[in-house]
Amino acid sequence: MGPLITQDIIGGQWNFVIAFIIGIGFGFVLEQAGFSSSRKLAGVFYGYDFVVLRVFFVAAITATVGLLFFSYFDWIDLSLIYVNPIFLKSAIVGGVIMGLGFIIGGFCPGTSVCASAIGKIDAMFFLGGIFIGILLYGESFSLFKDLYYDKVPVDKMVFDALGISQGTFVLILILIALAAFYVTSLIEKKVDKVEY
Amino acid sequence: MNIKYVISASLLVLLGVILAFLPEKSHTTEIGPDKLLSELNDETRFVSTDKVADNIINGVPSVQLIDVRPAEEYNKFSLPDAINIPLDSLLLPDWQAYIDQEGIKTIFYSNGTVYASQAWMLSRRLGFSNLFIMKGGLNRWIETIMQAKEPDQTASSTEIALYEFRKAAGQFFGGGTQVAGSSTNTKKKKKVVKKRKRKAAAEGGCG
Repeated sequence: MGPLITQDIIGGQWNFVIAFIIGIGFGFVLEQAGFSSSRKLAGVFYGYDFVVLRVFFVAAITATVGLLFFSYFDWIDLSLIYVNPIFLKSAIVGGVIMGLGFIIGGFCPGTSVCASAIGKIDAMFFLGGIFIGILLYGESFSLFKDLYYDKVPVDKMVFDALGISQGTFVLILILIALAAFYVTSLIEKKVDKVEY
Repeated sequence: MNIKYVISASLLVLLGVILAFLPEKSHTTEIGPDKLLSELNDETRFVSTDKVADNIINGVPSVQLIDVRPAEEYNKFSLPDAINIPLDSLLLPDWQAYIDQEGIKTIFYSNGTVYASQAWMLSRRLGFSNLFIMKGGLNRWIETIMQAKEPDQTASSTEIALYEFRKAAGQFFGGGTQVAGSSTNTKKKKKVVKKRKRKAAAEGGCG
């Protein structure tokens, strides 16, 4: 059946409408989880609050399990889903920059928009920084072009590389997630609670 | 620990275990209807009888012919080196390895074009590529290769070259009008091949 737009079951012009609705839902969940507070986000790095890790990990495994079951029920054709090629080097460089921005600014791009929406001034500054960064990057793109397009010719999927089935990999991922939740809850208990 | 965390965690683990033990999903590589439609409008899947004859005579190794008619018709007459896969058994797993060969051009033929087209469509839907249909089927084959008609005196040089080729090919396949070509011994065949090769340049325009 799915994906709906790729197979023209609903028109492509609905793309932005659906993205808009999902975006509002996403923003709502972020705000609900308290992600509009930069202190909460920074908590991951200082060890007093791991809500960020829990929310995103739960989202990832829920979506994974859901998609796989959907695929089994033939509700979605996973071969039609676009999966990014592996850009290893640019992913590492980008990840470091993003991590730095995360710990310095206390926001990731999504949460900064979310926090701006509820009137946080630091988030607005962060958002301004994002746009300046985008502008600078765009203007100097030719310098980074080679890094940007540097694909790695390896197995695209981790489970293929490991030689295990997709389902087994998901089970392992779930177990890792649960272990991470448990360990981080222990850390949270050890570290002094920060009030904010 | 909060009871709701325990419940949701065990639920996730349960779902994960189910996923781990589900049999590997067989991904259907069927091509989508929109792609199929655009390919149906593309005439390049048709191969002329002249091209097929040329392939057989030259023994092109990267081409295989598949006869999709019933076995009894195949036994009565078929093109040299053709494999018989009747249309009703085309989807049997035993045959799929024949059709699904990446580097090999597969040309389907039947008496007309209809059954070969059905075979093409079924195979294409399964995601196999490099598939072709002999246009006009064996009827056109008889008409053009085995009983080639001499063009008018005023015909263009390409038409005449085409006729020369067809006549030679007809002799090669044991038909035609040549008196000496009645038997199909191999020595004769070789002679005919040489004759065709001389015309190769002109013949290229019609393939």
